Amino acid sequence: MSGHAVHSVLVSIPAGRFESVLPPAAGIKEVSVASFRIDSIPVSNADFANFIHRSAQWRRDRIPRVFADTQYLRHWESATEPGATLRNQPVTRISWFAASAYCEARGARLPTWYEWEYVAAASETQTDARKDDAWRQRILDWYSTSGRGPLPDVGQGVANAYGVRDIHGMVWEWIEDQAGMLVSGDNRQQGDPDTMRFCGSGAITMEQKENYATLMRIAMLSSVQASYTTATMGFRCAADRVTR
Amino acid sequence: MRTHHLLCVCVVAALLAGCTNDRGSPTVAATTGKAPAGTGGSHAGDFGPPQGEPVHAVLTSPPNVPPPTNRKAPAKVIVDLEVIEVDKEIAEGVQYTFWTFGGTVPGSFIRVRQGDTVEFHLKNHPDSKMPHNIDLHGVTGPGGGAASSFTAPGHQTQFTFKALNQGLYVYHCATAPVGMHVANGMYGLILIEPPEGLTPVDHEFYVMQGDFYTVGKYREKGHAVFDMQKAIDENATYVLFNGAESSLTGPKALKASVNQKVRMYVGNGGPNLISNFHVIGEIFDKVQYEGGTHAQENVQTTLIPAGGAATVEFHTEVPGNYVLVDHAIFRAFNKGALAILEVGGDARTDIYSGKQVDETYLSDKVASTEAVSIAAQANAAGTLTKEQQIAAGAALFKGTCSTCHQDAGQGIANVFPPLAKSDFLMADMKRAVGIVLNGLTRPITVNGANYDSIMPPMSQLTDDEIANILTYVANSWGNSGAVVTKKQVTEARATTKRPEGAAH
Amino acid sequence: MRCATIAVLLLLTGPALTASSLPPGSIYHLNSTLVNQSGAAVGLDTYRGHPVLITMFYASCPAACPLLIDTLRAVERSVPEGKRRQLRVLMISIDPERDTAEALRKLAQDRHIDLSRWTLAHADAATVRKVAATLNIQYRRLPDGQFSHSSIVSLLSPQGELLQQSSTLSSADPAIVATLVQVTQ
Repeated sequence: MSGHAVHSVLVSIPAGRFESVLPPAAGIKEVSVASFRIDSIPVSNADFANFIHRSAQWRRDRIPRVFADTQYLRHWESATEPGATLRNQPVTRISWFAASAYCEARGARLPTWYEWEYVAAASETQTDARKDDAWRQRILDWYSTSGRGPLPDVGQGVANAYGVRDIHGMVWEWIEDQAGMLVSGDNRQQGDPDTMRFCGSGAITMEQKENYATLMRIAMLSSVQASYTTATMGFRCAADRVTR
Repeated sequence: MRTHHLLCVCVVAALLAGCTNDRGSPTVAATTGKAPAGTGGSHAGDFGPPQGEPVHAVLTSPPNVPPPTNRKAPAKVIVDLEVIEVDKEIAEGVQYTFWTFGGTVPGSFIRVRQGDTVEFHLKNHPDSKMPHNIDLHGVTGPGGGAASSFTAPGHQTQFTFKALNQGLYVYHCATAPVGMHVANGMYGLILIEPPEGLTPVDHEFYVMQGDFYTVGKYREKGHAVFDMQKAIDENATYVLFNGAESSLTGPKALKASVNQKVRMYVGNGGPNLISNFHVIGEIFDKVQYEGGTHAQENVQTTLIPAGGAATVEFHTEVPGNYVLVDHAIFRAFNKGALAILEVGGDARTDIYSGKQVDETYLSDKVASTEAVSIAAQANAAGTLTKEQQIAAGAALFKGTCSTCHQDAGQGIANVFPPLAKSDFLMADMKRAVGIVLNGLTRPITVNGANYDSIMPPMSQLTDDEIANILTYVANSWGNSGAVVTKKQVTEARATTKRPEGAAH
Repeated sequence: MRCATIAVLLLLTGPALTASSLPPGSIYHLNSTLVNQSGAAVGLDTYRGHPVLITMFYASCPAACPLLIDTLRAVERSVPEGKRRQLRVLMISIDPERDTAEALRKLAQDRHIDLSRWTLAHADAATVRKVAATLNIQYRRLPDGQFSHSSIVSLLSPQGELLQQSSTLSSADPAIVATLVQVTQ
């Protein structure tokens, strides 16, 4: 249990309205987000190991397959310890069920997509930097690099205008309403009028087609089921404004 | 085991009408019982259920093509294609993270026969960062397989289709943002052979063009990252065959011999640019546009749209290197769209002679450059003589100065001033150095006559060359003067402002 | 179909599984608590030991959800009488705000649902999310209060394993009927 972890704090995010990449319905552009709190950094392997020590049913050798696929925490040194080099890296190879359970144990929850997107729109200086081409290209750069190689430790990134770190450039992050993306696996069907009419307006039309970084988040989140784990998917927790 | 979800908002009563399908409805010809023209298209492409044991498709990396299926009956064909995100050189010293089908750009070549039932397994490598899917243009069905094959990292999916239309088809990833997945190299070709197979040839090659967009400039060393804005602006940094500048050149050039039939399966992954595919020094005997059935003959340059393909065939006669280009020619020479086909064998001078004459043509202003190099070497060795300078200067004068000042320095009356017995020249050799370097644009009087022409700066000449020319001029045609040294020219160049890169 | 085969093997060869030895793929690992149409708390595994048709819906849904009930009935009718008695149906609401026990009870009455073998239930939002996640059901509340959701009927083994899913509406999907017949003793 050596090495000192950077500890997460729940950062308060003020309520607001913004235009999401995923409009709530046809003709409605703006989304309201109530004030909430969110982890300043992603959950680390050390954090998750602490959780597992208390909740052993989430160990990789005990978790039922219905909650996680075979690669769940496969990179850890043992069923309970990530090993020294991984301790401060973001936890990955984690299923939605396990991430949800971790947050619940803290009296928190996963952020919703709109909450995540709202916070992720901020640069170091602006709360909505999505029209800043240079910033957009900068966050896009992460997606242009390979997924191999070690992840950086959490908390090293520069804080955004809300004081939230590593929301870009580190890992994918689970969201609470994972099952609510309703995005087709074939992105090009978005907005196809026939699809809207005959198959229900299930598939959401993505807006802001130039916002590649966010579009990729949605593609990634809609490609996974709740039991899936991948080498680059982690999470952070959120909570309502008033402690529950 | 994600099922196909029927997503429905319950207010939509038309739910049961089902999805429309732009490719699925029967043709008019079929319903009226008329014999369809040509191959009959998809309606004639179903040869019944697969027969025999399932076959595993042979997949090949570019530029290789799998062997003909040689099947006479429809089969069940299993295709295992793995998506891998790889760091590779896009140009010398420039790394790029490609997203690939099978580890290469373009992706593995797939070859099946019309009527085959293809069980497609898409595997997304556990190291992948992205989810991916595949849309095969050879599939009849919504999305071409895209939704059915949407696959998270470290997972695999399966779907099955019947290959109803023969032809050469592009496949590509269709995951959001589609453009970026394609721009990162996620495309390839699937050949659906006609039931009778294709005519045998000596070589089959797999070549696919694509355009790439990086934040850095063309050939800027280091790890290049995708530039979204350039991609949206369709301002390609690289236009490449088979995903890298050197993929089909040097030791990796395509190889054939004279008297052979060559077939190239040429695709264009895009994402943006149309290819103007041309092989320098060859004429395509046959081009099947869009990989379709009807062939055009005797084609010089063929358009291949983004997301399209062509089968080109030609016969080799003359040995040598044939350069494959996108004939939007800046793409070839400034963005990398070059590949080489080396044809070996004996010369065929009856068809192409090779160079028979190569003489300098300079309006008789021919000069040996030998004296120039002797002088340069002597100067470097510190043994330069006045005679060597004059000899070199004479050679250089012929190529550079004599056009205006004439061979014997006599000039042209009232237009170009004489150098022979020139009072203006000989009065100030230092000034003469400056004029050669900077040109002259003011009126002057030479030997009593006025001249008002423009002499362009000759600063493209080296200090050596200028010293030698002026030494020659100062000691020819009745002039008798001193040696002009390289040092004098160097000093003059250093101390005067002059326009660089002047015209010859 | 692979799931179905495994389940059959378990049924035929294995001893009766105890609560502590649920198969790894069982959704009953969720240990979720639901509230049924009578207002009583019931476990998600209330029908453990029976093959279960499970689906998610919302009661105020004007079109597809009524069809879901018809679909479930069509599947029931396709199963021989003896086996049908083994079958149970669990419909879980995705609309905890409006689908109170009372609303569900009214729906059951209106549609003449046989509550001896069917259960209509609601649960808190977090439970709904988890059940939906195990069944790969997507849903999303729309600003007008309606829901967009996948209309899927799932077949669970007596131990709660997902055997088969079908998006066929209003008629019985032959595949799900075949598996059901196969797993019912």
